[in-house]
Amino acid sequence: MKEMSTRMKKILSIFLFSFIATVIFATPAFAQNSDKVVDVADLLTDAEETKLEKSITNIIEKYNFDVVIVTTNTLENKTSQAYADDYFDYNGYGVGDSRDGILFLVSMEDRDYYISTSGYGLNAFTDYGIGKIEDKVVSDLSDGEYNNSFSKFIDYVDKFLKEAKDNKPYDTNNKYVTSSERVITIAVIFIIAFIIGLISVSIMKSGMNNVVDNKFARDYVRKDSLNLSRQSDIFLYSNVTKVKRESSSSSSGGSSSHTSSSGSSHGGHGGKF
Amino acid sequence: MAVINYKCPCCDATLTFDGTSQQLSCEYCGNSFELDAVKQYDEASKSAEGESDFEWQPYQADSGNGDWQEGETDGMKMYVCSTCGAQIVADENTVATFCLYCENSTIIPETVSGMLKPDFVVPFKKSKEDAKEALKLLCKGKKLLPDFFIKDNRIEKITGLYVPFWLFDGDADAKINYKATKTRHWVDSNYSYTKTDHYMIAREGSIGYNYVPADGSSKADDKFMESIEPFDFDEAVDFNTAYLAGYLADKYDVTSDECKDKINERIRNSTLETFRSTIEGYSTVVPKNINMQIKQGKIRYVLMPVWMLNTKYQGKIYTFAMNGQTGKVAGELPFSKKKYFSYMFGITGVLSVIATIIYLLIF
Repeated sequence: MKEMSTRMKKILSIFLFSFIATVIFATPAFAQNSDKVVDVADLLTDAEETKLEKSITNIIEKYNFDVVIVTTNTLENKTSQAYADDYFDYNGYGVGDSRDGILFLVSMEDRDYYISTSGYGLNAFTDYGIGKIEDKVVSDLSDGEYNNSFSKFIDYVDKFLKEAKDNKPYDTNNKYVTSSERVITIAVIFIIAFIIGLISVSIMKSGMNNVVDNKFARDYVRKDSLNLSRQSDIFLYSNVTKVKRESSSSSSGGSSSHTSSSGSSHGGHGGKF
Repeated sequence: MAVINYKCPCCDATLTFDGTSQQLSCEYCGNSFELDAVKQYDEASKSAEGESDFEWQPYQADSGNGDWQEGETDGMKMYVCSTCGAQIVADENTVATFCLYCENSTIIPETVSGMLKPDFVVPFKKSKEDAKEALKLLCKGKKLLPDFFIKDNRIEKITGLYVPFWLFDGDADAKINYKATKTRHWVDSNYSYTKTDHYMIAREGSIGYNYVPADGSSKADDKFMESIEPFDFDEAVDFNTAYLAGYLADKYDVTSDECKDKINERIRNSTLETFRSTIEGYSTVVPKNINMQIKQGKIRYVLMPVWMLNTKYQGKIYTFAMNGQTGKVAGELPFSKKKYFSYMFGITGVLSVIATIIYLLIF
């Protein structure tokens, strides 16, 4: 019985060990890194960090989509794009085989930021969409309101993922409109309608008066009475001016992507704050 | 040897003669010119200098057919409106019951006085029925028209009126210089080029005007009278009081002298327009010197036939006038404020609701 129990213990411990080993060594290829807010530059308090982590966990549960916020004091001589992409790739972020996720990098070195997308992130966040999010979050970065900026970022990620659910992400043909913008648009519609109304009645009114004063006497020119005694066109001089020609370019919707050092495909955009 | 100083056509600085190129050049703006071109430029500029002057022979009682003969005005009477002061002449069998200018019914008969005998009269060719039809047509489709306006008993009030006109005849001698340019554009891989050739254009000549009319009645609005022009003066006949039968006639109260500025402006504009039409092929043409002369211009005093209806609506007089010879119509119709605002807010409301629904469905 005692022998039996040691044997059982042995089997049990091997079983347990292999289970732990599986968890520790086998999962990194599939499961994500659980550290969602990596505040190396120490821009956030612990409480803020916890709160942001919690909202990110919500999104992961809701959409199966990874969200990472990284702050750093150095880009290690990389571009902000390369640093963000590599950070995402080499730290095991992203959900599923396609490693769906988005990473928001803030570097204090030269005050760079970068939003990098991966996998499904390229579908949900188009160039237009990332631009729209940048518009909303970068000003807070500039003001040093890092926590505000990050929590807004997470809110927008939530909204944009929700919109992208039925395969229609916010893009140049499906613009992101806030309710206040909507109110303004409707107000503008009313103003334009009023102007059209005003123009219409003015046209109706102007049709009621066909009186014009006559500043000419052309009806009273005696027939064939024009008699020209001098008609000379004298050439005087010429001059030439030249202007340098310029060319222009245009853009359309969708996501543009690039390949990171690990060979995976990313989308995104960044800048200075 | 006389030295002629030529002015630069570009900047007015004095030109110097360059013996090697045989051209005149300007040190100030750097342009050089052919000697012949500068000579012509100089001559044309001097020719068109000086003030314009339009000289009209004054119109006097004996200028036209002379004054009334003894007893000629006996068969006529005059109505004076006690409200607007209009003085309307009619033959003794025509009874006026209201003032055709202000709709007032207190008009007082008086004996004819202070009326010049017209030289000519252009008789009515259009009937009252024609005038009524023309007014109805004018009112058609006018959504803001007050309902009362088109009622038959009102339209009956359309009146045939001889309006006094001064007619001006004269030959204008004009000398006009223009600055003109021709431009040409081309491009190469780096630059786009514009070449501008500068010209001076000189036009001199004469143009004749016959029967340029000016409204001699202060009651008949000049604008309306100008709108129903032209009258064909070839159909005018010597004045005879018999033509007044069944119509009213207004007395002139604006002298020919007071009409001159208006006439001069019209002749000037038309002369400019005609001369300008002889210039073709340039990208810009701007008149530089304008000199016009009229000598011994002649003035006539004529009655022109007009069908007229004046309507007082909310304190304002609205006039309908039709040329009694050609049927040309000028009118200002009253508009109902109530209809105006209902249309304005109706259109605003419908449009904004539809646009908002479409907007919310799309976004």
